Order: sequence, then structure tokens, then C-alpha cells
Amino acid sequence: MPSWQDFQPFLITGLALGGVYALSGVGMVVLFRATGVLNLSFGAVGAMGALIAWQAINHWGLPQGVAWLICILFSAVITGAYGLVFGTALAKRDPLVKATATLGFALLLLGVMELLWTTSGGASRALTLPTDNSGFTVSGIQIDWTQVIAVVIGIVITIGAAAFLRYTKLGTAMRAMANDREITAMLGVPVNRVLAVAWTGCGVLAGIAGLLLADLVQLDATTLTFLVISALAATLIGRLRSIAVTFVAAIVIGVVSSMIVPIQSITNYANMTPFVLAVVALMVLSGRSSISLERGGI
Amino acid sequence: MTTTKIPTPSSDSDSHSGSGKQLIALQLSKLDKRAKARVVVTVAILAFALFAMPSILSLYYVDAMTQVTVYAIVALGLGVLVGRVGLVSLGQAAVLALGAWVAARLLFATALPYPLVLLLAGLITMALGTLIGLPALRMRGLYLALITLMLAGAITVALATTNFPNGGHGFLGYNSNVVHTPAIRRPAIATSDPAFLRYSIVVAILMFLLVVWHLRSRPGRAWAAIRQSEASALAAGINTTRYKLWAFALASFLTGVAGGLLAGADQFLYSIDFQPQDSITLLAVVLMGGVYNVWGAVIAGLFMQLLPQLLNSWNVSPYWLVVLFGIGALQVLTTAPAGIVDQLPKDLARLGRFVYRQFRRAAPVGGAQ
Repeated sequence: MPSWQDFQPFLITGLALGGVYALSGVGMVVLFRATGVLNLSFGAVGAMGALIAWQAINHWGLPQGVAWLICILFSAVITGAYGLVFGTALAKRDPLVKATATLGFALLLLGVMELLWTTSGGASRALTLPTDNSGFTVSGIQIDWTQVIAVVIGIVITIGAAAFLRYTKLGTAMRAMANDREITAMLGVPVNRVLAVAWTGCGVLAGIAGLLLADLVQLDATTLTFLVISALAATLIGRLRSIAVTFVAAIVIGVVSSMIVPIQSITNYANMTPFVLAVVALMVLSGRSSISLERGGI
Repeated sequence: MTTTKIPTPSSDSDSHSGSGKQLIALQLSKLDKRAKARVVVTVAILAFALFAMPSILSLYYVDAMTQVTVYAIVALGLGVLVGRVGLVSLGQAAVLALGAWVAARLLFATALPYPLVLLLAGLITMALGTLIGLPALRMRGLYLALITLMLAGAITVALATTNFPNGGHGFLGYNSNVVHTPAIRRPAIATSDPAFLRYSIVVAILMFLLVVWHLRSRPGRAWAAIRQSEASALAAGINTTRYKLWAFALASFLTGVAGGLLAGADQFLYSIDFQPQDSITLLAVVLMGGVYNVWGAVIAGLFMQLLPQLLNSWNVSPYWLVVLFGIGALQVLTTAPAGIVDQLPKDLARLGRFVYRQFRRAAPVGGAQ
């Protein structure tokens, strides 16, 4: 068993990852509550944004700040466009169909990314934020500013989203739409505008998450696309409703999966953490049997 | 959507003047003719696939067609879940890996005949799949899909760590020290690649018959009822949990058998060949092929395993297919729920009518009645 000293750096990495998972998870929960769509293309959108930012810095010679803005703008626009076209077309379908359609969108983006930024031939890319290079030391642990930013953004977005849904007019409209879209429309809420805001907001978060994960983990289309599954595990533990539970679950998933790494005997299973936690939580939480009344299937 | 596949007689029969009895007789004979035609076409395709195809194709495409056969069985199982019962599994590729692992372990450890190993691989995978499905079935559609995604991720990580058996000892059967690992054995009657393709096609035909038999009997009717509305199925006295679990078990069994075939087809299994995204690609091609018709599974198999090889031989990046599958899945979900197997004949008929009309318009007056 390694000593506490060995765990310390992994605790920090875990917290940073957990922060990004929380940011992603909260983004998905808010969109799900507003539109009934579980956006499984979240990771793919962020990955493509990050790759475009990489392209902008390394090939177009743009300054880093502009490249990050392009990443976030791209993510917002493409997610908004998806919402406008397919979100509307599938509005009355089962949540399962809506979620499966976003998987199709993720595949589409993944294919485009692999075509434009091919990985065959061992080409590897990296997107490093300037905050990597400076940091501070707390009781012997090196912490860089990117990690701090990841955790802080996770916390800020969580609190911000909760407050937004609770106190603003737009947030109330979103919660109302989650309950019944038709009645909300009848009450005079501009449904399409609210939807557009929800989708675009989700896209902005996807862009931020893509940038941070590209730096913290790896700039690779497939890795980033499927890293969303870890955040998804957190949203599942929050039952796709609770922002607070999603946040806590995301931090726990990030920390646990990172802290397992230095333990030699189970280090290979570290990547299983989000799946196992989500499955166990779902099994325990779903004590009651429930029957879907809407017509199932695709 | 009904599960019975009796074709509706085309509306032009309404124009026939005659008594009701005659009309019914006419429709029956027409239906008979169609059914007969369908049987003839099916037998012809199968005979070609079984006898001619393995001999005329190059070894490259024989291997590709064996993979097509394996994935058609997997797609068939997923098609039953998605199309007949309305359950979505995002973990079928992991179940396939599980089946391949079990079969490889049995083939190395025992001298059991190959068909028995296939059956055992199917049954053990079925038991595991049912075990997974049992608690998961209490959840609603979306949660069930996501939990299968999570379990698939967990299985993939576990298999990446334990590796596939390569003739070693112990429960895992993996020996990391050997350089030349023995190949997984094939049935004695099918050691060559073309022979193994024939063997796989025969197994696939049996699996398709098993599914068709299910669809035409009690489970098929129960699934149709559940798909329409779970609440009314329950009210009609159908044990919904039992039949949903049955569908899960059937799909797992099929996928396990397919895994057994895959073990013999590849002969060397590596965990890197089984990625979680395969499950998602699989769902996309199954949707594109069509989930309301068993032929959709064949199309799905061709899409998933033949097209990449074709593109490869033309030096086109296989990632164009990922783009295509993404677009295809979106298109099926928004506009054409029955998939290519339904859409293509309709489009061809429309094209035929269009060409015919053009021809009639262009024809000289003497040609018209």
C-alpha cells in the first residue's frame, strides 16, 4: 500500500478532473431538465472545439485567447444548430430516441474529426494552457493554476446553474418547460427562444470542458468524445435531476478514479470507477419499480 | 407497428368488380404468390451465400463475409431488443467480447465439439446477460440504455486487464510470457477460411430461424404488446418483466453464439479489438438496416464489416463510414424509422413508377390503349 505522500498528487489531479466532470454533468442535467434531451454529443462537441483551437494556434497563428474563444463559439453554435434542427424535429419523441439521436450526432462529429485530424501514423497533438506552467505548493504538493481553474469553474457553474434555475425568469421558464411544453407555451413563454438559450448554453459548457480536458487528459478525438461517459455517470447518480448530487458524484468519480492509480494491485481498473459507481448507485436508488407509460422504442 | 409480416394487398385490387368472396380469394392467391416469391428469393440468396460465395470470393472478402455473418447475428439480437420490445442496449459489443472470451476459454480448456462450445458460449453469455438485465429492467428506457453503456464500459476495462485466453493455465487462461501463442481451434470440418464461412452461415441461418420462430409465437405477440404500451400489455395479463427479460436473454444468447464464431474466425483475440464505441456504431447500423425486419440485421452486418473492407481496398478512409453511420442514425430516427430494408424497396418502386410514367408519356399514341 503506498503512503499518503504518493496519493497527494493524484488527489489534486482527481479534484481537477472531478471539477470538469461536474461542469459537464451540470451542463447535461440543465439541458435535460429544460428540453428532455440527454446530450451524449457533449464530449464530441468539446473535442472538436479543442481540435479547432489547436488548429488555430498551430496552423493559423492566432493568439491563444482568440483560439479559446473560437472553440467556445464553435461549440455553442454547433450545439445550438443541432438543437434548432433535431431538437425541434424530435421534440415529441421518447427521451430514449432523443438521446440516441445525439449519439448519431456524436458519431458524425467523431468521423469528421478523424478525417480532418487523422491520428493514424502516430500524430499526436497537445493543447496546453499557459496556466500549466505556474502554480503554487501546498504542504509539498505541486498545484498548477489549470487544476485550480478546473475545480473553481466546476463549483461556479454548479452554483450558478442552480441559482439560474431557481431565481431567474428564464430558469423558471426552463423548469416549467421540463414539466409540460404545451402548457408553458400557452402561458406566453417564448418556448423556442428558451430552447435556443438552453442548447447554446450547453454548447458553451461543452467548449469549456473540451478545452480543459484536452489540457488535463489528452487532445484526442476518441478519448475526449468518450470521456463524457464519466460525466454521464455523475448525472445518472444525480438521476438526471439533481445538480447538487451530480456535482458531488462528479468530484467523487474524479477523485476515486485518480486515487486508485497508485495502488498497484487495482491500478488497471481505475477507469472502471465511473461505470461501477453509476451502476451501483442506480441499482440502489431504483428501489421502486416504475412503468413507462409513454410508448417506448424507436 | 404490428409484428406479423403479412403484406397488405395493394390498393389497386379495389378496382376489381366482383363479389366479396371472389375479392378475398383473389387477395389470398396474390398473398400466396408473394409469400412464395419471398421464399424462393430467400432460398436463392441463401444457396448463393452458402455454396457459391465462399468459392468465388478472394480470401480477403471471405474473411470479411465471415465477420459480416458474425455481426449480422449480433445485429439480429439488438434488432429484437430495439425493434420488437423497444429496449435499447448500448453494450452489445461488450457482450460479444464476453461471448468470445467464454468460447475461447472453453476451446482451449476442453476438447468439446465446436457446436457444443457455441451452444455453451451462448448459454453462459445468456446467463450473464440476464443477470445484468434483471435489476436493470426495473428502470425506464433511457436509464436502461445508459446502464448498459456503463456496464459495457466496465466489461471493456475488465477485459483489457484480464486479456483474452491464449492457451495459458488458470481461470483466465492467459499466459503473458509466451511469444508464439496457439491459435484458437476451429471445427474439424471447417478449418479453412471458406469452409469456416460456410459453417458460420449455417449457424447464422439457425439463429435467424430461432428468432423468426420467437417472433411468430407467443413471445413475439407479447413483445408487440409491450412495445405498443407497457401499461396496456400489463392490463392484458402479459407478464411484462418476464418477456422483457426473455428478449434480453435471447439477444444475449445470439450475441454469445456470435462471439463463439468470432473466436474461431479470428483465431487470435486481443482486447484492443473490442472498443466501447463499437456498441454505439452497432446501434447506428442496426437502426440504419431496419429493426422491424430480420433482413435489416444482414444489412447492418454488411454495413459494419463489409463496407470498411471495401473502402480499405479503395484506399478511402474508413472514417467516412463513421460520418455516414452518424447521419444514417439521425435520418432513421427523424424520418425513416423502418430503416433501409423498408426504405430501399419503396424508393426503388417510386423510381420504377417514375420511369414508367416518363416512358408512357413519351410513347407514341399508338402504344396507348
